[in-house]
Amino acid sequence: MTLRILHLFPRLLGLNGESGNVEILRLRSEWRGLPVEVISYDGGDPLRFDEADLVFIGSGPVSAEVRAHPLVLGIGAELRALASDGVPFLAIGAGFQLLGETVTLEGGEVLEGAGVFPVTTRHGGIRVVGDFVVESARLGTVVGFENRGSFVDVGGHRTLGRVVYGRGNTETPGEEGFWEDNLLGTHLHGPVLANNPGLADSLLDTARSRRGLSYIDAAPEALRVVDDRARHARETIAAAPLSE
Amino acid sequence: MGLRTATAVLVGRAVRVAARLRGGGSAIPGNIALKIDPGFLERTIARIPDGVVAVSGSNGKSTTTNMLAAIMRQHGLTVFTNPSGGNLPQGIASALLSEVSVSGRLDSDIAILEVDEGYGTRLAELLKPRTVLLLNIQIDQLNRYHEPDRVAAMLGRVAASATEGLVLNREDNFLVDLDQRIPARDGRAVSFFGGVPALVDAASHGVASADRFGDSTVAPGSRPAAVEVVALEGARAALDIDGTLVSVKLPARGMHYALDAAGAAAAARSVLGDRFKPELVTRALDTLETVYGRGELLEVEGEQIEIIMMKNPASLQLNLDSLEGAPEQVFMAVDEGTPDPSWIYDIDFSALDHVDGITGSKAWQFAVRFGYLGIPVGSVDLDVKAALKAFLALPAPTTGHKVMILNYEQMMLIRKILGFKELEGGGQP
Ligand SMILES: [Zn+2]
Repeated sequence: MTLRILHLFPRLLGLNGESGNVEILRLRSEWRGLPVEVISYDGGDPLRFDEADLVFIGSGPVSAEVRAHPLVLGIGAELRALASDGVPFLAIGAGFQLLGETVTLEGGEVLEGAGVFPVTTRHGGIRVVGDFVVESARLGTVVGFENRGSFVDVGGHRTLGRVVYGRGNTETPGEEGFWEDNLLGTHLHGPVLANNPGLADSLLDTARSRRGLSYIDAAPEALRVVDDRARHARETIAAAPLSE
Repeated sequence: MGLRTATAVLVGRAVRVAARLRGGGSAIPGNIALKIDPGFLERTIARIPDGVVAVSGSNGKSTTTNMLAAIMRQHGLTVFTNPSGGNLPQGIASALLSEVSVSGRLDSDIAILEVDEGYGTRLAELLKPRTVLLLNIQIDQLNRYHEPDRVAAMLGRVAASATEGLVLNREDNFLVDLDQRIPARDGRAVSFFGGVPALVDAASHGVASADRFGDSTVAPGSRPAAVEVVALEGARAALDIDGTLVSVKLPARGMHYALDAAGAAAAARSVLGDRFKPELVTRALDTLETVYGRGELLEVEGEQIEIIMMKNPASLQLNLDSLEGAPEQVFMAVDEGTPDPSWIYDIDFSALDHVDGITGSKAWQFAVRFGYLGIPVGSVDLDVKAALKAFLALPAPTTGHKVMILNYEQMMLIRKILGFKELEGGGQP
């Protein structure tokens, strides 16, 4: 009875405290009595991918994205198999882009993505840096930090939510990210799950129900304390968001 | 020169006095002087006999600039330098205003200037540095520059502007071969500083250099160093300068400070050539005052409060690592001066066993982090004055001092609050 999180490229993609997301997923499960094993993958043979119950990939600068690109393509088939098997994915920034269909760099070069998410990315335009507030139909207010110089086209697919403050996927503020079934991709970079524990629990629930795993104590005191703090953090950011 | 310079100097000075009286705005006078006479900075600087040494990097600029200026003074030079943090053109012009004559003359032999890495390219054009000292490229202010690679490119352009000397940290992933990635220049001497592997590896988070992806072929540490940190004990380090061992005092414990001292010594050596005397490095650093706000001790109502500045992830990590045991009483204050504290999930906070109080607009984000780390948090209060008051009211710790971990903006605010408190309590103004 162990939940396994596959953490892709923790060294190459994980610039802004993003490995915090994996730690938070692990602790939220373990504090409820369900042990977690983290499988880190930095390249080489995709060993034990078939055991993964949840997949996380983080972000990084363009130099790291370009370097990660062939490595991500190399495991594309395995990742597509996991996705169609219902395994929940959380993909952030450059990782989200590389798991899409194509990434067009500023110089015009087109990188083929792993094709897990039906989205395309185009680098360029004005970089936006600042607090980010999104209203999610499923979770209510989701907050974070936006730092991006690219646009994502998600076509007619469902998103994480509507942008309240910040820019989001497109040139004119509208929607943020991609969220359909087991696949969640966003440019809410950094430890997005820290301030938004609802997102973390949603990913864990998808992973658990797929395997029929349950918690011993669904709402331990330690979690109530951090969730109350996270609520305060969301309220503080949403009340007075700032950007450059 | 002429009338325009005189006007710029006089108006700038008047504004400087006015700004002082209002208590702040140190860059404003320089800004105004530059508006009246745009060539003021460039021209004044160009007439300094021994030219300009530019000091840049993500972390340690102020400390190292201060050290290098002290070493130069010990060698008998009159030094013009910019105060900590005044590292943009307006800040440097403001510093000049207090020292130049009305005709725009500066009575200094050499300028040692801390240069902001983001303005480095523009400042290099203005200042035409003869020598450039580059300290490190750390994950710093990503909200401003976004990527270490961009900072590296900017510092590369600063390095390329050096005409006589380029001094680089060989322990830094990006700087170890920077000289090979910029156009070579006749007459430019390149030298390195660093530490012996045992010390570099033992610094619990290395030297906190940013990861470099892609083209790196030269391993950090692999270049021969003119100045090498060979021993470290408490707040003292031993430097090997071309075979001569000298002992130096550091601002506080920590390998990063030892590397700053090595960088300052290497730059002095590069600038002075035959005139450089290693033993004067000891004398210079032993008499140096701590730079404002780093490892500083404040005395409040008979209690010592150690200030740890949370300038960026690397400096916070190094400062946490250099704590001797978990502090008995810890206070944190972080506001929007740190717009995106995401990096706290990359920091090892195991040097702390609890935090008594957290304030500032980012307080709840820190509280969440400590929650997941299992580090108890006494209270979170966004009202800075109330939080500070509660912290100061805690009984005096047995270790003799309290610790405050603050970002720059909160440090300034809290100093101000503590000053007001002294006034109200009938203390000296
Ligand atoms: Zn980015």
